[in-house]
Amino acid sequence: MERPDGGTPALTPEEGWSTIHRTLDRTRSSMYVAGTSTILLIWGAIVAIGFGSQYAVQTLAADFAADRPWYPGPLWGVLVVAGMVGSAAVGRQASRKIAVGMGMRSVGIRVFLFWLAILVATFLIPAAAGLWTGGEAATRIPYVAIGIVTLGYVLFGIMVRPILAVVGLGVAMAFYIPAYLVEYPSSAAVSAAAILAVCAISWAWIRRTGVL
Amino acid sequence: MTSDAIVLDETIHQSTRLRIMSMLVGQPDKDRLAYGFIRNTLDLTGGNLTTHLRKLEAAGYLDIIKDSQDSKPRTWIRMTPDGRRAFARYLANLEKALNWRPPR
Repeated sequence: MERPDGGTPALTPEEGWSTIHRTLDRTRSSMYVAGTSTILLIWGAIVAIGFGSQYAVQTLAADFAADRPWYPGPLWGVLVVAGMVGSAAVGRQASRKIAVGMGMRSVGIRVFLFWLAILVATFLIPAAAGLWTGGEAATRIPYVAIGIVTLGYVLFGIMVRPILAVVGLGVAMAFYIPAYLVEYPSSAAVSAAAILAVCAISWAWIRRTGVL
Repeated sequence: MTSDAIVLDETIHQSTRLRIMSMLVGQPDKDRLAYGFIRNTLDLTGGNLTTHLRKLEAAGYLDIIKDSQDSKPRTWIRMTPDGRRAFARYLANLEKALNWRPPR
């Protein structure tokens, strides 16, 4: 059946109904992923700097690392705060380009709170598990933290765009495989490079395909 | 045509225009969406989107607003109160059409 005003086939009522639902869903998820590809790259760089710095300190300033075994705490604290500020700025800038008003603001706040909750969990869960007491136990903190961040990506991906769940699993593999196969601190350098590579490839692929 | 025939608004009941209206109706009353966001989300060309936006604007269902943001020209689309009423009527009629059964 052809319509007189454009040559496109007329919609059946069922098609009209499903079009409305699909469009609402697509619009909502597109708003939730505003700026995500750039934010992904920021966090890839931050995690790479974090693990790269740990590797550098352990190999180039072994005495410093031995005297101050707590140094990864402040290092990651500063990096995470910088990442949160950078992500919020990028997300705000991206959201201003797609919509103006309460709806977009509310989406931005929800996304920020979701990731804030994930980041708080990366500190609180290791603390509750007694890993912040130092010594050998503290070396397990990244294992738990990366697992929680991966869970964040998977949950966000399930709710918004499945590709983000795949990226999260890629980041997890980039950390866990070197962490279990290579001795510390070399594993930190390999993880840094692998995580940065996963994030950069994901960023380039997302930008090229426009999947987000 | 009988007096209780179900009539779907032809301006809205077209694939692209229905998708544009669905994007806009999902936003709070005074919110507006960027032209580029609509084009990318619906995977349309600029010319195609503009043609359909003009039809909806001519029907009084949406406003096309041009302004600047960070010194760059921007085009925004906002649904009018008439557009929201028309979409509500369209939805009510669509629901009737979905539930319609031929008389025995």
